[in-house]
Amino acid sequence: MAKSKLPVFPSETLIHKITHLMHDGMDARTSGEFEIPPALGDARWTDELILSTWHMAATGTLPDNLNYKTGESNGGFDRLDFKLLDEEQWLKHSEDIKTSIPLNRRGDHRKKLSPAIPIYGGGMSYGSVSVNVMMSRAIHAKNWNTYMSTGEGGYPEELYDCRDHVITQVATGLFGVEEKSIQAAPIVEFKYAQGAKPGLGGHLLASKAGEEVAKMRGSVPFVSLFSPFPFHSTYSVEDHSKHIDWVQTINPDALISVKVSTPHDVDMVAVGSYYAGAHIIHLDGGFGGTGAAPEIAKKNIAMPIELAVPKVHKFLIKEGIRENVTLIASGGIRTADDIAKAIALGADGVVLGTSDLVAMGCTRCSNCEGGPSGRGCPWGLTTTDIELQEWVQQEWAVKRLDNYYTALQWRLRDILRKLGLSDVKELVGRTDLLVYTRSDLK
Amino acid sequence: MQLLNKLEGDQTMIGASDKSRLTMTEFAKESRIRADSYHRYHIDTIETPDRQSLPNRFLVSVGKFGLAKLLVSEIFEYWGKWDVVFARPCTYGVFSGPVGGFSPRPEKCVGCLRCTIEHPGFVTITPNPALETLGDSYLNSKIISTIDEEARKGTVPVRGQGYRGRFGGPGWDEMFTDMSEIVRPSRDGIHGRELISTIVDIGSKPMRLQFDSEGSLVSAGPKMMSIQVPFVFDSPAGSVMSPRLAKIWKTAAEQVDTLALISADIVASNNLESPSVVPIFSLDSFESANSFKNGTRMVQLDGWGASEYESMTSSNPDLMISVRMSFEEGWQDQLSEMVDAGVSVIHFVANNHGEADGGRFIMDIIIEAHEMLLKAGVRDKVTLLHSGGVVAADHLPKAIICGLDAVGLDLPLLIAIQARLSGDTSSRERYTAKLPKKFDDKWACQRIVNLTGSWRDQMLEILGAMGIREVRRLRGEMGRAMWCSHLEEEAFSEIEGFTGGGI
Repeated sequence: MAKSKLPVFPSETLIHKITHLMHDGMDARTSGEFEIPPALGDARWTDELILSTWHMAATGTLPDNLNYKTGESNGGFDRLDFKLLDEEQWLKHSEDIKTSIPLNRRGDHRKKLSPAIPIYGGGMSYGSVSVNVMMSRAIHAKNWNTYMSTGEGGYPEELYDCRDHVITQVATGLFGVEEKSIQAAPIVEFKYAQGAKPGLGGHLLASKAGEEVAKMRGSVPFVSLFSPFPFHSTYSVEDHSKHIDWVQTINPDALISVKVSTPHDVDMVAVGSYYAGAHIIHLDGGFGGTGAAPEIAKKNIAMPIELAVPKVHKFLIKEGIRENVTLIASGGIRTADDIAKAIALGADGVVLGTSDLVAMGCTRCSNCEGGPSGRGCPWGLTTTDIELQEWVQQEWAVKRLDNYYTALQWRLRDILRKLGLSDVKELVGRTDLLVYTRSDLK
Repeated sequence: MQLLNKLEGDQTMIGASDKSRLTMTEFAKESRIRADSYHRYHIDTIETPDRQSLPNRFLVSVGKFGLAKLLVSEIFEYWGKWDVVFARPCTYGVFSGPVGGFSPRPEKCVGCLRCTIEHPGFVTITPNPALETLGDSYLNSKIISTIDEEARKGTVPVRGQGYRGRFGGPGWDEMFTDMSEIVRPSRDGIHGRELISTIVDIGSKPMRLQFDSEGSLVSAGPKMMSIQVPFVFDSPAGSVMSPRLAKIWKTAAEQVDTLALISADIVASNNLESPSVVPIFSLDSFESANSFKNGTRMVQLDGWGASEYESMTSSNPDLMISVRMSFEEGWQDQLSEMVDAGVSVIHFVANNHGEADGGRFIMDIIIEAHEMLLKAGVRDKVTLLHSGGVVAADHLPKAIICGLDAVGLDLPLLIAIQARLSGDTSSRERYTAKLPKKFDDKWACQRIVNLTGSWRDQMLEILGAMGIREVRRLRGEMGRAMWCSHLEEEAFSEIEGFTGGGI
């Protein structure tokens, strides 16, 4: 911990000063008024991807002079491109190009949910992020008729205002899981594993498990919290089915999502989950985000999402159940182009997490777990520090997310029309519309 | 209640010498003693500060005029609200020195970039080229920084946000390890409630037992020893190894319960014989192995010579004799010859970039060697070690998956004690190492112990994710690995332009 005095709730003047400096600075960097910060970015999230996300979040439009399509990881999404039609065959850019997807394909009596875009927000728990960030994402989800997940840290009271757009996550530690929050949920998400740390459970470091966070999780303040892996009551698909029965007894209308990572047998896991009653199979690839994960787990355990989606998609077709289940991809999806590529590889839609944070100012400095200060994110995103969390003001953050999704939807429609498609559902599994590029051709 | 009967006649047990059965009180006491005497293997790590710190990650440049201008304007704008005037855009203390931003402290910068975003006109953060140029293309600055942190803290590096690097290969990056989604034998092993073993056996196990018609065992039993971790400490380049380093290697190996492989000359001249020390003999000096019997469990022959090996084994029947061999062209024939001659511990060597046999990466060569022995039906009769190219925590389980029993570490140990390498660092012999000017042996030993503690814990993370309870079962478990190029082939083969996975 730093030697500095304990953080206190900041004054209105201080919040005003800091937030304006941050916002003006982001705008200045994206407008080209100043050079791209030399220390910004990495192979997956390049400096231009971060700045283009900021631009989209500020304006709702795509940038002219920044690469908003791909990173430089030299593989996966970064080597895929679209086989666009000749320009004269392009459809007109129009809001008639449909981007909505159905989430309940089982044909049962449960809710028929159809988000306006093939995107919803991934789980980020209370504790890993602040209530301000959670609420901003929830209000934004409501504005866009889509959803966001609570992550595994409970359901702060404020979220009930957006209950129809909040997915309640039930994960292995059962932190903060209550009948009330399950009853409120349109979708209940079972998190079996997380792409950034597959097979290792959850981890909230002590410095971020403050009074309110611990209370929500039924724990002791400032003690590290491990959400063990795996579910201790699940050894088989039959046990998994029992889990689903249990939730459906509490909330008979909720859709069931099963979030898994991407091991070798992920295709079998997906089929098992479907037969256990899942409406949504959510695959979280190895490049996914995290509030805290052992470095060795990132990338080394389980496979990237680009490789898992076609594997599962093809296997579900082979089993004759592809039309009955919604396949959602997450873990390393950064751009509208990535979203379209994931869908072309076989997903129905995607979940975004890191991208939301980048839209709200994240520079991906990797100090979410607390960092040397012990206080968490200096941008106020992945922290519950009473001072730092105020740097994310809800009204501003909601606007940023709304703008960002406007730009994502515009670009998604742009890709669809240039492929001659009028509905995102027509893109699912269309690998014939993709082309693989070698790095030297890019 | 089985313990009650089991203890009958056990003269060493309190209360059992003159009674056929224990009372409940005695039983409870016995149970307590047994429980208290249980020692679960653990590496004691202690945070051990730097002696020769790495260059800072970032350089911080603040324009003095711009800062002064900002201060003056804010003093007027926020007069009296000093908390607002002096609020600094850094929670890590870069601007918390006596004169704030006028003399920033770059050693505290973690690269959040808040300062340069908030004040783009006069604050610049740049990656420090002095750090980025450390190491070489294989043992690069990122790996060096990670080892440095592991040796300092002795913990598993944990960070927020996701992966930041390349999609797949080359080298070890070509492999992803598998995990089990729900079914696994070790529930919560990594968090301490159950044991995941990292013990490996060094030596030879018979492939089968033979009995005579009377039912008596007639074949030899296993000849092996166990070490607590799947790595040994290998000797660095001859010009770098010194009696002092050898002593540090030995002490750390004893503390961790592994082996330190050290030149026999250094061992002899510095009285370093120990069960944890493996003296290495050249082919022309093996005869002096006789003098290393006191406590020494294994010796190593540096190179293959059938007659030398035969002579060494016949004159030292109680010693385990390992042989070091390079993966040079024709290594397959040499390996077969060594196995036929009964060598039970074979220590492969590649260069420091993990290249051998005409530039092949060791991952493929190790797999080939392992499968050769499997095919010959002798895999358990031989222990395979390897040195060269294993420089990060994730390389360790990956090398074992390829078929090794244990790995030899040398360069990571030098990096742990903050040596700066130069020269031809790809070569095992043509590099130099500059050690910190001042350090004591205890410090160096603890840094190495910390590194091993961190790497072992990271191994547990991998094993835990797979649901494997002991590292011995990971050896050659290629079904627990996924190769990026194979997966790409499976995923992308229908896509136009795809001509094969990999880099």
